[in-house]
Amino acid sequence: MHLLAQTLLVAQASPEDIMQELARLQRNFHFLSYGFAAAWIILTLYVLMLVGRERKLKRQITNLKAMLEERQKMT
Amino acid sequence: MRDKILYVLGALAILILARDLYVIAGLPQEAAQGAIFKIIFFHVPAAWTAIVAAITALTMSVQFLRTKDFKYDAAAVAVTEVGLAFLAANLVTGSIWARVIWGIWWTWDVRLTSALVCWLLYAGYLMLRHAIEEPTQRATFAAVFSILAFLDVPIVYFSIRWFRTQHPAPVFLSSNGSFPADWTRVLLSNWLGLLLLAIVMTAIRLRQEESQREIDSLRRAAHAM
Repeated sequence: MHLLAQTLLVAQASPEDIMQELARLQRNFHFLSYGFAAAWIILTLYVLMLVGRERKLKRQITNLKAMLEERQKMT
Repeated sequence: MRDKILYVLGALAILILARDLYVIAGLPQEAAQGAIFKIIFFHVPAAWTAIVAAITALTMSVQFLRTKDFKYDAAAVAVTEVGLAFLAANLVTGSIWARVIWGIWWTWDVRLTSALVCWLLYAGYLMLRHAIEEPTQRATFAAVFSILAFLDVPIVYFSIRWFRTQHPAPVFLSSNGSFPADWTRVLLSNWLGLLLLAIVMTAIRLRQEESQREIDSLRRAAHAM
């Protein structure tokens, strides 16, 4: 029944209508992929920010510990 | 041990989300909206994750004010930052959906505006923390600000029930809801994936707060020498 209704609809549509509908579906799909990509880019950027901060903190701790050890040796 | 648990949780989250992406691609298109409707499978779970983060931040802030224990302050800032990332993902996906369905990227609708205000408030919370040097004063002011910022969360959540908005009416936990059961399962599974990801991110961010405290105490020791 559903297939018959669709066939009848397509039979009534002009080639321009079909092209327009195809373009709409294509655009819809493109925007969906942009949406998923944007969401993942935001989360990935945040993870990269976390990784960068982690490295910076580790470097700071190592430097401070080395500095303290040096000072202790001097005293 | 803690690192291993985080790796396992992270890998599990990525597996769930990758599987869901495959399942979502195979789902039929929604009759009226077409393929773009599928953005709901990311848009809504991202919002729910942000809400969970906001509730956790509120709890941690209240706990800090009650106990003055800095571990609660660290948890509040960690979860707020992660929640902000998820709310940003929610706002961006919503805006992309709106461009297709409404023909506009943005409208000053109550739901959209209150969500943007929520994002700005929590971004303000993070900026406030950078502006105050003294740790106790910083944690106290930030906790009070976080509690006040949370007042916007129920407005965001209930706005589509309280007001007539351009944003679609609720389809979950509502008598008007008509979301198919198998789609709900995919949506909940995607939420689980995002929630696991948020937990891993929060745990990493929390560890960074601990490292920052270690740096502060090492600096104090260096000054004292």
